Amino acid sequence: MRKKQKIVAALMLLVALHLAILLAGFIAPYNPATQNRDFPFVPPTRFHFADARGHFHLRPFIYQWTVRPEGFNEYEEARGREYPVQFFVRGPEYTIAGLVRSDVHLFGVEGPARIFLAGSDGFGRDQFSRIMYGGQISLAAGLLATGISLFLGLLVGCISGFYGSWIDESAMRLVELFLVLPWLYLLLAVRSFLPLHISPTQTFFLLVAVIGTIGWARPARLVRGIVLSAKGRKYVTASRGFGATDSYILRRHVLPHTYGVLLTQAALLVPQYIVAEVTLSFLGLGVSEPVSSWGNLLANLQQYNVLASYWWMFAPALALVIISLGYLKVANAIHERLQSDSI
Amino acid sequence: MHRWGCFATLLLACGHACFASSAPQPPQHGEDLLVTDNQIGRYGGTLVLAQRSEPKTLNPVTAADAPSREVIGRLTADLIHINRWTQNTEPALAKAWSVSNDGRVFTVKLRHGLRFSDGQPFDADDVVFSFQVYLDENVHSPQRDLLVVGGKPIKVQKIDQYSVRFTLAQPYAAAERIFDSLAMMPRHLLERPYKAGQFAQALTLNTPPAEIAGMGPFRVKQYIPGQRIVLERNPFYWKADRSKNRLPYLDELVFLFVGNEDAQAIRFQAGETDIISRLSAENYALLSKDVATRGTDFFDLGPSLEYDFLVFNLNDLRSKNLDSIAAKQAWFQAVKFRQAVSSAIDRDSIVKLVYTGHGAALWGNVSPSNKLWTDQMLPHTPYSLDRARELLKSEGFSWRSDGQLIDRQGVAVEFSVITSTSNAQRMKMATLIQDDLGKLGMNVHVVPLEFRALLDRVFQTYDYEASIMALGGGDADPNPEMNVWLSNGGTHLWRLGEARPATDWEALIDQLMQKQMVQLKYKERKHLYDQAQEIIAANVPFVFLATPNILVGARKNLGNFKPAILDPNTLWNVEQLYFIPGNGARPGEKP
Amino acid sequence: MKYLERRVIHGLLLLIGVSILCFALSAAAPGNFFDEMKLNPQISPSTVAGLRARYGFDQPLVWRYGHWVESVLRGEWGYSFAYNCPVRSLLLVRARNTLILTGLATLLAWLIAVPLGVWTANRRGRWDDRLSMASTSLLLSVPELVIALVLLYWAVRIHTLPVGGMASVDFGGLGVQAKLFDLALHLVVPVTTLVLASLPLLVRHIRASMIEVLQAPFVQAARAHGIGGARLLFRYALPAAANPLSSLLGLSVGALLSGSLLVEVITGWPGLGPLLLDAALARDIYVVVGAVMASTLFMIFGGILADILLVAVDPRVRLGKV
Repeated sequence: MRKKQKIVAALMLLVALHLAILLAGFIAPYNPATQNRDFPFVPPTRFHFADARGHFHLRPFIYQWTVRPEGFNEYEEARGREYPVQFFVRGPEYTIAGLVRSDVHLFGVEGPARIFLAGSDGFGRDQFSRIMYGGQISLAAGLLATGISLFLGLLVGCISGFYGSWIDESAMRLVELFLVLPWLYLLLAVRSFLPLHISPTQTFFLLVAVIGTIGWARPARLVRGIVLSAKGRKYVTASRGFGATDSYILRRHVLPHTYGVLLTQAALLVPQYIVAEVTLSFLGLGVSEPVSSWGNLLANLQQYNVLASYWWMFAPALALVIISLGYLKVANAIHERLQSDSI
Repeated sequence: MHRWGCFATLLLACGHACFASSAPQPPQHGEDLLVTDNQIGRYGGTLVLAQRSEPKTLNPVTAADAPSREVIGRLTADLIHINRWTQNTEPALAKAWSVSNDGRVFTVKLRHGLRFSDGQPFDADDVVFSFQVYLDENVHSPQRDLLVVGGKPIKVQKIDQYSVRFTLAQPYAAAERIFDSLAMMPRHLLERPYKAGQFAQALTLNTPPAEIAGMGPFRVKQYIPGQRIVLERNPFYWKADRSKNRLPYLDELVFLFVGNEDAQAIRFQAGETDIISRLSAENYALLSKDVATRGTDFFDLGPSLEYDFLVFNLNDLRSKNLDSIAAKQAWFQAVKFRQAVSSAIDRDSIVKLVYTGHGAALWGNVSPSNKLWTDQMLPHTPYSLDRARELLKSEGFSWRSDGQLIDRQGVAVEFSVITSTSNAQRMKMATLIQDDLGKLGMNVHVVPLEFRALLDRVFQTYDYEASIMALGGGDADPNPEMNVWLSNGGTHLWRLGEARPATDWEALIDQLMQKQMVQLKYKERKHLYDQAQEIIAANVPFVFLATPNILVGARKNLGNFKPAILDPNTLWNVEQLYFIPGNGARPGEKP
Repeated sequence: MKYLERRVIHGLLLLIGVSILCFALSAAAPGNFFDEMKLNPQISPSTVAGLRARYGFDQPLVWRYGHWVESVLRGEWGYSFAYNCPVRSLLLVRARNTLILTGLATLLAWLIAVPLGVWTANRRGRWDDRLSMASTSLLLSVPELVIALVLLYWAVRIHTLPVGGMASVDFGGLGVQAKLFDLALHLVVPVTTLVLASLPLLVRHIRASMIEVLQAPFVQAARAHGIGGARLLFRYALPAAANPLSSLLGLSVGALLSGSLLVEVITGWPGLGPLLLDAALARDIYVVVGAVMASTLFMIFGGILADILLVAVDPRVRLGKV
């Protein structure tokens, strides 16, 4: 009973996170592409409850950032005017899942002030909005690519481990081939065959296809190891002796052993694939400007000056940590559940 | 203090016989040393700096990459040199030179009694040999094209042991500038591999130091693959300070190979290197924050000679299978369209956000730093969306109700801009331009491409619509730019491989550039080049954007440090650099 | 003995396959080595064309491959356009450096991951397990390059660690002990980066395999017999999980090799990484093929090592048909 609750709790958390990202337009206060060229790299906005005269406000308010006269990209709060945080305000228009159009945002402040929950990037774009919108592409791509990798990996791994002999040998050499090839070149070649400008949706499918197909090798190798040891067990030999068919043995005795590895892999691969977009975008295969994704947000961190000067640029990594912890929890919970079933 | 004592004994003990030592040799009778007027320094010390990638070769004739050229530049010397500070030519291995009245014959007198870094004498035979190699078609030297004037290679003749005559097929403006950075090579070491047809394989990084000799201030001591190359003082170097101290002052010069620009900055910040050149504006801001604690100085030398630009693909696409791009060329070919784009780009934002204020907006190809050649009268089109809209309107463009720009046929204006992923600055420019042109109703897609893939599209397949690139940065003189502006030039990027100029204004530029090339008087030449600049600016084949400032840093206790706009910005006077004592020597330096 | 022979033959086949695919891929990628010269206004297109012809770029791919095989047989491994020398001379030293780095990182990563994975499997759901899961998630969410940069930033701040490279400038003049110490200091940042980057994968897989084993009847039996604690975990349970882990070892060698590429570049480690990246971007294709072949060799040895370990540890495999 407790285990069931655990799964439910973990699932609820994940669903909530995904829902938030699906509703990015509503939750994010701004359009992710809008530049505020006077505010590059502003730190996250601070919330205040007590004003300069020491009065307490129940509704939090913020101050506008202004550039400090000397010093580069350094800001201070303009204490002159308070901007109370408002809820359900009108702002830029957005659509949710391509269906609902609206311009009501969860929170915001009156102009000209801007609320930067997670600071701004080098163009003064609101990073919180970019993270929310970026999650849509990245999560979907990560999940789909993981699915493809695991499916291919399971297929090859099972066949190879179960049937052994030359099938196994050639499959494993293929795995090794996939692990060492200079993918850079393949991706460059892929890029050169594509039309110059590809829309974000096309980029998305491309990402999924590329990452998913390259990534099957590792799960295949791991699954094969498990299958190899599972089929050597006594009860497998025994059930074979009772006349069980291959497919029965695979289904009943071998596959269940692979679930653990598959779930662990799944929880690992999703964040890994999201991060992999950083590399892909170097080759021109990532999601391109001004659309955001967690991959291209993380890519900012690869510049030393950004990492050393603007700590809030780590925010996308934090978002990814939260999500991947969520996946891990669900994977763990399911794993536990399966094991308790099998005993 | 101790070192002086040791040093003196060493000199006494060795005398002339000791060629293996890198202690500076005392001036000899009849040796025509060049006396510099720098502050008198102090011998000793090791200067360490970091390169982004490893040098590939030590061969001055075949080297094409920047790190190799940076190292080779310290190992070799040229006849006539461009002073990086004054931007003018000055005698180097040549003591003097004279030009015939028609500007075609150069007679160069060499300094007497100079020696290569291995102690062997240097004379006219080495000069003739060096030019023979540079001009040999089978060696494929990238510098060969420089030495072909008016379609014919320069003729080189030895007159006597210390004089050489150079004959050009036609007069060539500022011809003495082409001698800059042409390394004079030792015939006694290189003639054999050259005759055997193996010149390219000579002088690699694996060549033993004993088989490498040059006329530069340093010579090779040790190369460790992937890590560093260590140069030591050339004890026979041909420059001395006013007190007859033979230069260079430094014992050793070490180049570390560190991988990328960020690693360069990190090494400097940690105090592992003494000089950093060509800092990016962002790292400049980061590093100069802790000037106070680190004993370093940073310098903003002002705009570089490089220019960033947006170029539209105007190539003849009839033979290619690129119909969708060819259709868009109708827009790109309209001067008013390009002018509108130019007016709609907020260059100040580029300078501010991309170069964090350490850069300059550009409206022409010549940087404001280029004192001799920049055209002061060049109009600066102000940032104005209204002007841009008007230009578009008069060209027949209009706007849909949702703000999208459409042409006469009602086709939405939409194009992609390619840019190199290895250049963060240009990627940022692309994002800004995308936003700027979006305000005009143009739908611009930014397409980042890996650098070679980009070059392939621009030079080979012509499969692109617009691109953000950069050129220039070599010399201040207009002549190295010839191939950018001549319509049949190899770098005439907007329309490559033209047999005849496609437009009247391109024909005009061709004429002006050809004329300035053979014009020997500066004033007339400047006038011609100004006209060319104005035509270029008015017809916007390139939408000039901005130029970054040259930003460098160095340890505070480095004497005679005089960074310059021209490449190599910090090392051009490396023979004069020295460590001012007392001010804390480099950590790790041996006493 | 027969096993080894078979592995060697398979290894050779793999190498041939890799080299052919490498060639095909490099031909498919746009651009070539001499393209960059075109951007220099002072170099004419005909010079560039001359260079292309000289290095056989106008020949068909098969011809170039044949040429390359011939040079491999001569022990040259092709010719580098950039360095103007045989590729083999570029590879040897750098391959050694990469081996030092990845070897040490693999060893350390496993030394940390095994106890950690076993321990957290045993403490499933407790605070230490949760902490370990949270930190591995964090490590997963940050690109390797960022981990390296953070460590470098920290090294710059604390002043005691070198911020890149493999040896100090005065390395040549040091004694043996001082040399080793200097090397160790330089290894801190790149090794830590690689270990941190590979830990999540290892810890999680070890933990998952252990959880499975810990529920097996023989473990329960051992518990009933009063064998408990570390002895149970490491002496009895761990060997039972060896099979899947040995595949992981083979993989982790490969993963570290590819992961080390960028880490080497940013930390200035003079291994195959900077060479390969430079060459790949410059289209110095024979260097790329050579470096990939070197990594493939490492990987083949990693696989053999894993199999040998498996045979040594898992009695079922030892008695089986391998």
